[in-house]
Amino acid sequence: MWDWSVVWDYRELFVRGFFNTILLTSTGVAFGLLIGLFVGLGKMSRNWFVRILSSIYIDVFRGTPLFVQILLIHFAVIPSVFEALNMDIPPAIFSGFVALSLNSGAYIAEIFRAGIQSIDQGQMEAARSLGMNHKQAMYHVIIPQAFKRILPPLGNEFIALLKDSSLLAVIAVNELAYAGFTTAKSTFVRFPPYLSIAVLYLFLTLIFSQVVFWLERRYKTD
Amino acid sequence: MNIKKLFMTGVIALSVSALVGCGAAKDEAQQPGASDEKAGAAEQTVTYKVGTEAGFPPFMWMEGTQVVGFEADLLKAIAEGGGFQVDLQNTGWDPLFNGIDTGKIDLGIAAITITEKRKETYDFSEPYFDAKQLILVPKDSTVSKLDDLEGKKVGVQSATTGEAVVQDKFGKTYEGIKGYDDIPAAVDDLLSGRLDAVVADNAVVKKYLEKIGDQGFKQIDDPSFELEQYGLIVKKGNQEVLDKVNAGIKAIKENGKYQEIYNQYFSE
Repeated sequence: MWDWSVVWDYRELFVRGFFNTILLTSTGVAFGLLIGLFVGLGKMSRNWFVRILSSIYIDVFRGTPLFVQILLIHFAVIPSVFEALNMDIPPAIFSGFVALSLNSGAYIAEIFRAGIQSIDQGQMEAARSLGMNHKQAMYHVIIPQAFKRILPPLGNEFIALLKDSSLLAVIAVNELAYAGFTTAKSTFVRFPPYLSIAVLYLFLTLIFSQVVFWLERRYKTD
Repeated sequence: MNIKKLFMTGVIALSVSALVGCGAAKDEAQQPGASDEKAGAAEQTVTYKVGTEAGFPPFMWMEGTQVVGFEADLLKAIAEGGGFQVDLQNTGWDPLFNGIDTGKIDLGIAAITITEKRKETYDFSEPYFDAKQLILVPKDSTVSKLDDLEGKKVGVQSATTGEAVVQDKFGKTYEGIKGYDDIPAAVDDLLSGRLDAVVADNAVVKKYLEKIGDQGFKQIDDPSFELEQYGLIVKKGNQEVLDKVNAGIKAIKENGKYQEIYNQYFSE
């Protein structure tokens, strides 16, 4: 029950899992930021078609479980797309990147939109009256202010994604949760492997919330 | 003020009724349970909770909401022969072992190979099936034996003997081992080309070959794979259940019922 040596026996899985979890989460957030920026701006677009497309994207990815998205992307979408393109089907970790990026993109889009819309209308009017065009005003006045406000929810999203990446264990991606349950299942020892990954996740989320906290203080001007 | 009062009264009334409701429900739930036990004791037929993993054709799989297969039929026959009743639940592989540990289920039947390691934690019934591992690969694969899987991606079901043979060969944490929750997911990834091979029990590999053989797959037997036997598991020391199960297995092997069920699923 409390035989900690099994974690040592399977340490490679845990080390690999630790780095894969970091890799998956950071790539997910990086692409999520890109997608989120475009979709978030798209949702505020004056073009109704772009607006509707962005809304559908956000609704679909926020309104369905990430677990279901992973299964759908891994077992259905990616095999058929790559087959149609006559290309080799990429390994499971690629499905993980795609699922996490698309999912976090939807959440980040809403974070961006809320951040930008939270800036007082007067800021835009003042910038425009100084002779800036819409783009300049966005870039120099609105987005820098919005950035400060979206930092905390962005940090939350990163932490949520870090934890959600554990769902990728189901498609046999060697991330942290996979290391935990493979060890626990093979050895019938339960507490040490699961507690180990819990502590590692906690360690990662605590470090990251410190980083966000530090960034928040740095960009605090008032 | 009035609204506040009204609200508070409402909350209190609700919580009280909820509490009373719970109490009543519990009483009701307990009573039939208790009388059932009494009746059971009188007739000497107990009902055991049995866990399985229904993703393992032809042994157990789901047909609609029904758990069916060789083991489902076998279990019924064993129960009949041993004089007990069963409540079969599709718990999944890992929760099955957990359920036995915690006593949530009494008995496990899920193509569980009798191994020395598992015997340390659980008690096994008499064996009811002979099995061995097989490798499932695409037809054009260069793999012809276990050694050839070196450096390749091999799908297995976590915590099965299939995983064990690959781990024994290439190391516990060999990067190419992909452990899945069930075999169908592993076969799915073999079909899409993400895996180079799947290692699983022979009957399962054969069953999948029937299904996907025409898509260009073949089975490979490695001489190093040892003969395995399946048994039902109980919590260590649960002799009462074990005796009844063993009596049931003995009975159906003697009266020909076992062979009848076997032929139904594994006739060549």
